[in-house]
Parts: sequence; structure tokens; C-alpha cells
Amino acid sequence: MKSIYKKFKKALLLGTTGFLLFIVLVVDIIRQSVDIEIGWIVLLREILIVIAFATLFIMLESTWKREQTPSKKLGFALVLSLVAATATAMMFIISSSGFEVKNEYLLPLGFDTVVWANLASVVLGVTMILLVMILRDILFSKRRKGTKRNFIILIILIIVSSVATLLYRPMEYGIISTILTFITLGAMLWNSFRVSWIVYLTKREKILSIVYGFFLFLIFIGFDIILARGQTVVGQSILFYSPPLQTFIKEVALFATIYFGMTFISTLFHLPTAEAFDRKISEVSSLHNLSKLVTQVFDFNELVETVTAMTLQVCEAKSAWLEIITPHTLKKSTNNSIANGNDITIAGLKNISQEETQIIMEAIRSTIRQSVLDHNKPIIIESIRDDKRTQGIQMSANKFNSMAIVPLVSHEAVIGILYATKDVEYGFDKDDIDVISAFADQATVAIENSRLIEKSIERERLMREMMLAQEMQRKLLPQRIPQIENIDLDALSTPAFEVGGDYYDFLMIDNEHLGVLVGDVSGKGVSAAFYMAEMKGIFQSLSKIYTEPRKFLIEAQRALIETIDRRSFITVVYAVVNIKTGLMKIARAGHCPILHVSESKSGYIKSTGLGLGMGNVEIFERTITQTEVQLESGDVAVFYTDGVTEARPDGVPEFGYERLREVVASVYRKSAMQIRDSLITAVDSHMMHQPPEDDLTIVVLKWKK
Amino acid sequence: MSNFKVGIRENQNVQVVDLKGYLDAHTAPELEKIFQALIDKKNFNIVVNCRDLNYISSAGLGVFMAYIEDVRKNSGDIKLSNMSAKIYNVFDLLGFPLLYDITSDEAEAIQNFCSKK
Repeated sequence: MKSIYKKFKKALLLGTTGFLLFIVLVVDIIRQSVDIEIGWIVLLREILIVIAFATLFIMLESTWKREQTPSKKLGFALVLSLVAATATAMMFIISSSGFEVKNEYLLPLGFDTVVWANLASVVLGVTMILLVMILRDILFSKRRKGTKRNFIILIILIIVSSVATLLYRPMEYGIISTILTFITLGAMLWNSFRVSWIVYLTKREKILSIVYGFFLFLIFIGFDIILARGQTVVGQSILFYSPPLQTFIKEVALFATIYFGMTFISTLFHLPTAEAFDRKISEVSSLHNLSKLVTQVFDFNELVETVTAMTLQVCEAKSAWLEIITPHTLKKSTNNSIANGNDITIAGLKNISQEETQIIMEAIRSTIRQSVLDHNKPIIIESIRDDKRTQGIQMSANKFNSMAIVPLVSHEAVIGILYATKDVEYGFDKDDIDVISAFADQATVAIENSRLIEKSIERERLMREMMLAQEMQRKLLPQRIPQIENIDLDALSTPAFEVGGDYYDFLMIDNEHLGVLVGDVSGKGVSAAFYMAEMKGIFQSLSKIYTEPRKFLIEAQRALIETIDRRSFITVVYAVVNIKTGLMKIARAGHCPILHVSESKSGYIKSTGLGLGMGNVEIFERTITQTEVQLESGDVAVFYTDGVTEARPDGVPEFGYERLREVVASVYRKSAMQIRDSLITAVDSHMMHQPPEDDLTIVVLKWKK
Repeated sequence: MSNFKVGIRENQNVQVVDLKGYLDAHTAPELEKIFQALIDKKNFNIVVNCRDLNYISSAGLGVFMAYIEDVRKNSGDIKLSNMSAKIYNVFDLLGFPLLYDITSDEAEAIQNFCSKK
């Protein structure tokens, strides 16, 4: 929709221009045939011309492309002015009857003159409008604060002096016009010093600009001569057509002459430094691009390729490559190992083969390379042939005659070396080293980045796996507390780390017996979690077969001893409670003893028994005992792990058995959940609210019958 | 940072390992190294003197379990002595006295080696 509207608008503007100019032509023809002069018709005609060119300007401005470089604009100006000059010249060569000057008015001597005057004025008018736009764009490139203001002043002055011509007859001399012309000339000169954009052109563009500027200067001198007040048929034609337009065209042409002359001379003076400037520009822009790349691209190889490619480009080196030194502690793919505990990778090879780099690096390994590594300073070899240190390098075809070796230094350590060679001797100067060092710095950042990213990805992966393990482990614990008649049960387990070694479980062995198991796997983390899962499997499968706690633990030992690591063990306390009678049978395999609190007394139920996984099945069977406790109404049995008794903030004695007994005894009349919570609160306040260092598990069983 | 120290000395052809400080998951490898070195040198009669041992975690207990088999296979033993009451409780809870010879003092442990011979 929008583009259609735009096209329509352009067509409308162009149509208006054409229509108005056509009217002007018709008026001129009528004036030529009917010999009458009416003042307001002349004025109306001028206004129509102004409107026509204004609409044309608006149309052109809406299609204008501003983004081109100044030298391209110059080229466009040259083409434009050549076309305009040829067109005007053609018209008057073909035919023109010329003018008669009468009473300082120009009178055409034939209809052909009228038509040619119209055509030439329109062509030159359009040319000058386009030229103003081109000059504006050139002036505005690398613009400063006053640039726009100065240009606008110039344009206003040109318009004012154009309008001022209406005060006089076409061929009349006017003092106001002359004064305005001189002021405008001053503004032109002032604007002409805006040529700083030349500095930023590349060498090629500068050469182009010199050529363009020279020819444009010549062409516009030609225009100036032709357009001078009524001296030639062309000048007379335009003056006849419209004195303000003539002044506009003349002054724009004059400005163009001055400005293009200025461009030509300035560019000529800038040519000798063009190469150095080009180089600086390319250094700056490559560094800029590179640092952008470092922050945006995480593809390490791509970065390395860019670093060596830019080294070639900016220093005009013949070949370049990067040696990346990875300490063995940081695992990375290795191509080949040269020296002392470090992996060496060759990357970003440019115009050189892997074998050639090997030969060069091997030859300078103990001399220059070592010196770069030791001092963290770049080294230049001016002549590979003459330098004693590079005698080992025997290369065919004189490919390598000078070389620069620049270290990549990160935190005082060399993490890589950037090599560049040239096929001429004395090829590298200090500037080159500065630039290569800058590239080396970027490469350093890139290498550091990629290593950090690698590490953080690895860490994230581990973290995710730990989360997964944690989630799985959480599912191994009972998801809800069973509701059992006569028994009030509650439990809580909090791992100190992502995955813990504490385990508790309940199971109704049959209609009358509840099995309660609390265990602690030695060690922490993933291995503990595995043993815990194994323990769960053993409990779920064997507890219904071996209903006596002692027997169950012996069978658990038999199952575990084969699979468990020699230095690991699982401590377990296992109780089977008859939910009808309150008889609790207990066996303990190295675990913290159950705390039994009743109305009159409280104490720990200690029976002997090795931790699961210790010794062997025979010793285990021989030593483990089973005890029985008859629970009375209101009795509490607390199962727990050493996270409770050994809770100990810095410099304070551990929570201990005595404190545990006291806390439970003081709240023993309350519900299982309240007892559990009181105990946790007590441990937490003993820890002075520091996070626990060990997993902590509490199971409270209260006999209600 | 390590508040754990291990020392070795010889007492009547018995290697005495002195433990001091905190034996936990971080410091256990130090003790493992000592045991491994003793076994590599065919010293199988070992007494671990726990007089200055302040704390032992399950990982610390695991170290003794890791080497007892190797040592006993070579008709030697790891005996423990001079435990404080607190440390003894930890060993006791796990059933260590059922597996290990734990004596109240070092001389007694060495005596036990001699009488066995």
C-alpha cells in the first residue's frame, strides 16, 4: 500500500512539473507570436517556473540515495555534467536563431530559439538541482557542527541573489545583484574548505577523486564561460527563459567549479600519505571487527582464522599461523605434543603447511621460541638467512625471509604464539609488531573466552546431572507418611549437598507388622546415592521375606558385601513394629541407636552390630544381635542419623546424645510431627542457623494405643 | 588449611602411625597414602595411635577398612590405641571393636603383636 502511495506521489509531482513547464513553453510561444507584454503574466510565469522546479526537487529528494561514498558521488556528478554539457551543446549546434537585445530585454529571433531556450533551461536547471544535492551529500560526509548551517546560508544566498534579478531587466546591470553575488562568492569559498572527507578515502578512491575532480573542474569552467551574463547563445537563452534561474544555475556552477577545484588540489596533496592512512584505517577497522567478533562469536576456530587472516591483510605478511599452548590440566584435543607438559595446537594456518610450521618451530624451539616464552616479549627476525638463530630453517624458494614472533600473554603466562613471515628481508617494523601484538591480544581474549565457556558448559552439565540425581534420590524416599492405626509417624530428611547419603523408608510387611528403616551411606555425593538406591531395593525385596530384623540385616549384608567398595559402608537401624501389640523388634548395623522415650524413662537401645559392608557375612552374622522393646501408650521411638548428634558449628561442642534425649523427653507428649519439628528447631538453633554440614534425617514413631 | 597430621615412627619393629586433628573426607587420602606406603614396604604390623585425633568421619573410618584385609592376608594387623572416649564412641557405634583390636594404650597394642608371635 505504502509503496503504491509513494509511487503515486512521485508520479503526481513529476506530472505537475511537466505540466507547469509545458504551460511556460506555451506561454512563451504565444508571447512570441502575439506581441504583447503584460507585467503580471511575466511574474506568474516566473512563479510557475519556481513551483515546477520546487516540485521536481521534492520528487528527486524522495528518491535520493545518500549512502554512497564521496568519490562515487563525484563520479555521478561527472557523468551528470557531461550529459548536460553534451545536451546543451547539441541543441545549439543543431539550430538556434539567437536573440536581439532591445532595451535591455532579450527578444528571440524565431520559434526555434524559444523552444531551445525552454529545453536548455530545463536541462541545466535539473542538472544544477541534482548537483546541489550531490554537493550537499559530499559536504555533509564527515560533517562537523557548523557544516549544515554554512551550507544552508550558501543556498539561501543563492536563492536571494536569484530572486533579486527580478528587480532589473534581464540585460540590465544591477548593483544589488553584484553585491549579492560577491557575498555569495564568499559563502562559496567558506564552504569549499569542507574537504576533510578526502582524508578518509582509500588510496583508490583518492585517485578516482583526483581524476573526477580535475575533469569536473574543467567542465564547470566551461559552464561558467558559457553562462556568463548573456555572452553566448546558451547564456542568452537561459536569461531569456528566466533571469532568476539563470542566476541560480550560474552560481551553482560557480560553486561547483570552486569546490571541485578544491577537491582536486586537496586530494592531490593527500595522495602521498594515502597508503599510510589506508593502513591505519584498516588496522583500526580490523581491530574493531576482531574485538566485535571476540564478544559475539564463540566459535574458537573461526576467531583464530580471523586473527591470522587479519595479520596477513594488515601487515601484508606472506604467511601466518597461531600456536596454542594448552597446559595439560586443561584437557583439549591435541594435534601433537612438543614440550614439557603442554599440548601444542597449530591453528589458523595461512599460506603455509603444517609441515613447514613444524620445521620452523622445531628450528627455533630452543632459541627464539624459548626466549619469547621466557620474556613474554615479541621478537623480530630481520633476515632468516643471516640470523644465527634461524640457521636451521632451510626453505625452498625463499618463501620466508623475515619473521615476527609475538606471544599471547594471559595472566603472565604465555598461552600461545602468533607467527607471521614475509618474503622480504627487513619486512617487519615496529608498527607491524604493534599491530600483530594487538591481534595477539584479541586472540588471547578469544582463547580465554573459549576456555571459560568450555568450563562453564561442563559445569552446567554436571550441575544438571546433579539436579537429576537429586530429583531421583528424592523419589527414593517415601512420598507420604503411611496412616497406620495405633501409630503416629512422621519423618524428614534434608541432604546437605545436592545428593546425600541418608535414607529412610517404611513398609507394611504384612497386616500386622510395620518395618521402619533408617540408614546412612558413608561418603557423600553420587556414589552414596547409588548405594542408597541399592539399599532401597534390598529393603523393598527382602523385608517381606526376612521378617526378623536381625535376619533381614544379615541377608542385606550378604547382598551388599559383593558390590560395595571396601572403604564404604552403610549403617542401618531396622525396627519391625507389631501394630496390634506394640512389640518392637530392633537390629542395629553400626547405626546411631534408637532413642526410646516413655513416661518414666528415656534411653538409647544399643545392640551390637557392624555396619553393612564391613568385614564379611560370617563376622556380621556372629556379632549382630536383636533386641525387643514393648511400647507402652504414649511411648516415642526416634530414629535419626549422625547429622543430628554430630551437628556442630565452629568452636561449639556437637549436639550430642544427651541433648537429643533431653529435647525429645521435654516434648514427648506431643504429636510425632511436633516432636520432629521441635528436634529440627533445636538442631538449627544449636547450629546457630548455619546450613547443616551433613545430611540430617529424623523419623519419629509414637505408639498411641 | 589442613588441620590433620600423620606421623610415622617405629617401636619394637612395629610401625606406629600417629594421628592428629580431623580425619575426614578431605584428609583421608593423606592417611591412605601412609598405609599404602607401609604396605608397599612390607610393613604389616601397624599400630595407629589416636591420642591426638579429635574427629573422625565415615570417610576416615573407611581408610581402616580399605587396608585391613591386605594387612591381615600378610599375617599382620592394624591395631588402634589411645582413643579418647568420644572417638571410641564413633568406632564403637559402627562395630569396629568387633573387627579391630582396640587397646587403651600403644604399649599394649605392641605387646599384642609380640605375644602373637
